[in-house]
Amino acid sequence: MSNAKEETLNFVWHPPTIKTKIFNLNTILSVVSIVSLFMAWALLVHFQVYRFSLLPSPAEVLEEGLGWVRTHVFWIDAFATTLRVLVGVLAAYIIAIPLGLMIGWKKVFSDLTFPTLEVLRPIPAPAYLPIAILLLPWQEASVAFIPFIDAFFPVLLNTITGVKIIDRDYFRAARCLGSSPKQIFWHVVLPGALPSISSGCAIGMGIGWMGAVVGEMITGKWGLGYRIWESYILIRYPLIVDGMIAIGILGFASSVLIRYLTIRLIPWRKAITESLDESITK
Amino acid sequence: MSDNTTAIEFQFWRQFRKILINWSLVRKILSLVIFIVLWTILVQFIGYFHQIPTPQAVLLAIFELPITVVLKNIGLSFLRVLAGFFMGVLIGFPIGVAIGYSRIANRLIFPAFEMIRPIPPIAWIPLTVLFFINFESQAIFLTFYGAFFPIVYNTMGGISEVDIRLPRAAMSFGVGKRLMLWKVILPAAMPQIFTGMKLAMGITWILVVAAEMLSNKGGMGYYVWYNHTVMDYPHVVLAMGIIGICGAICSIGVGVVGNYFTRWQRLF
Repeated sequence: MSNAKEETLNFVWHPPTIKTKIFNLNTILSVVSIVSLFMAWALLVHFQVYRFSLLPSPAEVLEEGLGWVRTHVFWIDAFATTLRVLVGVLAAYIIAIPLGLMIGWKKVFSDLTFPTLEVLRPIPAPAYLPIAILLLPWQEASVAFIPFIDAFFPVLLNTITGVKIIDRDYFRAARCLGSSPKQIFWHVVLPGALPSISSGCAIGMGIGWMGAVVGEMITGKWGLGYRIWESYILIRYPLIVDGMIAIGILGFASSVLIRYLTIRLIPWRKAITESLDESITK
Repeated sequence: MSDNTTAIEFQFWRQFRKILINWSLVRKILSLVIFIVLWTILVQFIGYFHQIPTPQAVLLAIFELPITVVLKNIGLSFLRVLAGFFMGVLIGFPIGVAIGYSRIANRLIFPAFEMIRPIPPIAWIPLTVLFFINFESQAIFLTFYGAFFPIVYNTMGGISEVDIRLPRAAMSFGVGKRLMLWKVILPAAMPQIFTGMKLAMGITWILVVAAEMLSNKGGMGYYVWYNHTVMDYPHVVLAMGIIGICGAICSIGVGVVGNYFTRWQRLF
């Protein structure tokens, strides 16, 4: 009965408050910002300032893009790139998260593995490409190897930090109450590190998209990165910008997805770690 | 009585052994040794890995290194990275401060940035090739672009997350707006700003290597790819190592400068 009453109360018609929302200063400035970005682009191309005459105009990009989305080529490209990123980044998660948990938790394990990883870390991912081509028998894998390397170290370092910032008292309390190392791992180390791991995963996903594009540009037969490079060679310049926009949208969507999932899965995520997360993401 | 002395002696020897042998260091060295041994064994005895050069081959390749060529390539890569990075700092830092400090600037600039940011810097390569005349300016634009967003976003984040009690305390001492920015807010935001700069340095190295691989205008990325095309794999690994050392030097440099600017942290 009370439920029904509340429902009826909710359905009471309110005068629209949209008017006040649209015309506040913040939204106006945001719209001005985005519109001026596109206007600047259109005008610079239209009046052929410096070398902007060589770049495609927004209208051309829109026209070409609408045609491109209707073809099956676009969908195959988008699918191929997404698959490569997902395979590489998920492989990085599967290897880096347990490794990071162990490195952060056990000093001996850290001593035995971390120096090697520190030696490998500063090498940028594209430089691994020749080794990936040698090591992995088919081309798809060597392209997915670059997002793997790109995502691996942010995830690893975030996981290690996540374990290191757990309050030592939790470990002591768990040990006082007689829990085994296994129990400590599942009930202290893993839940404590999860907020930091999640931010590492989001960063890894973002950088993974960059890696996939590099790999596809250098060695690839399909994918958005390859399409961008090909349309540059075939002088279909508007398609370059369309490819960039498609990658931007897909990359943005995947990081939003990861953020959403981690917020739902980790309800104990605190404000502190959220600010940490914001600081680490570019 | 004698029991007591033996206990003390035992303690002494335990401590002495701990001082004599730094077990952590031993394990760390062991880690690298295991890595190299594992690498050798994999390459020597497992057919699948036979194309990968052995550590010995890589070591021998050092003596055949064309030093002038390599030095020239290192110089080119360094030039591109540092030019782009410093442009990123010079342009990104003031914009980040403006976005973090002023609400109106934030609303005016931030949405446009949010539109551009998800596009990975690498995807800009074809457009930069169209727009810029020579390879140097293309590469420097790319590294600048890669460094720009991490610096802007971390500067903004650092400023907007300064503990509100600090500016309040300063205000109660009658500090003006300009002094507040230079003496309170920027120093408090410095740790995060330098986190952004370290990230930016890593990304500029990735970009430089990728851009050089795609062109033939020199640089360490080109050197790696050239050795790949002539199937000289020991030199590929060696060049990877050199790039890694260069990247490490750059990020250590940023860390040292960052330590100087965040030296107030050591007081606490």
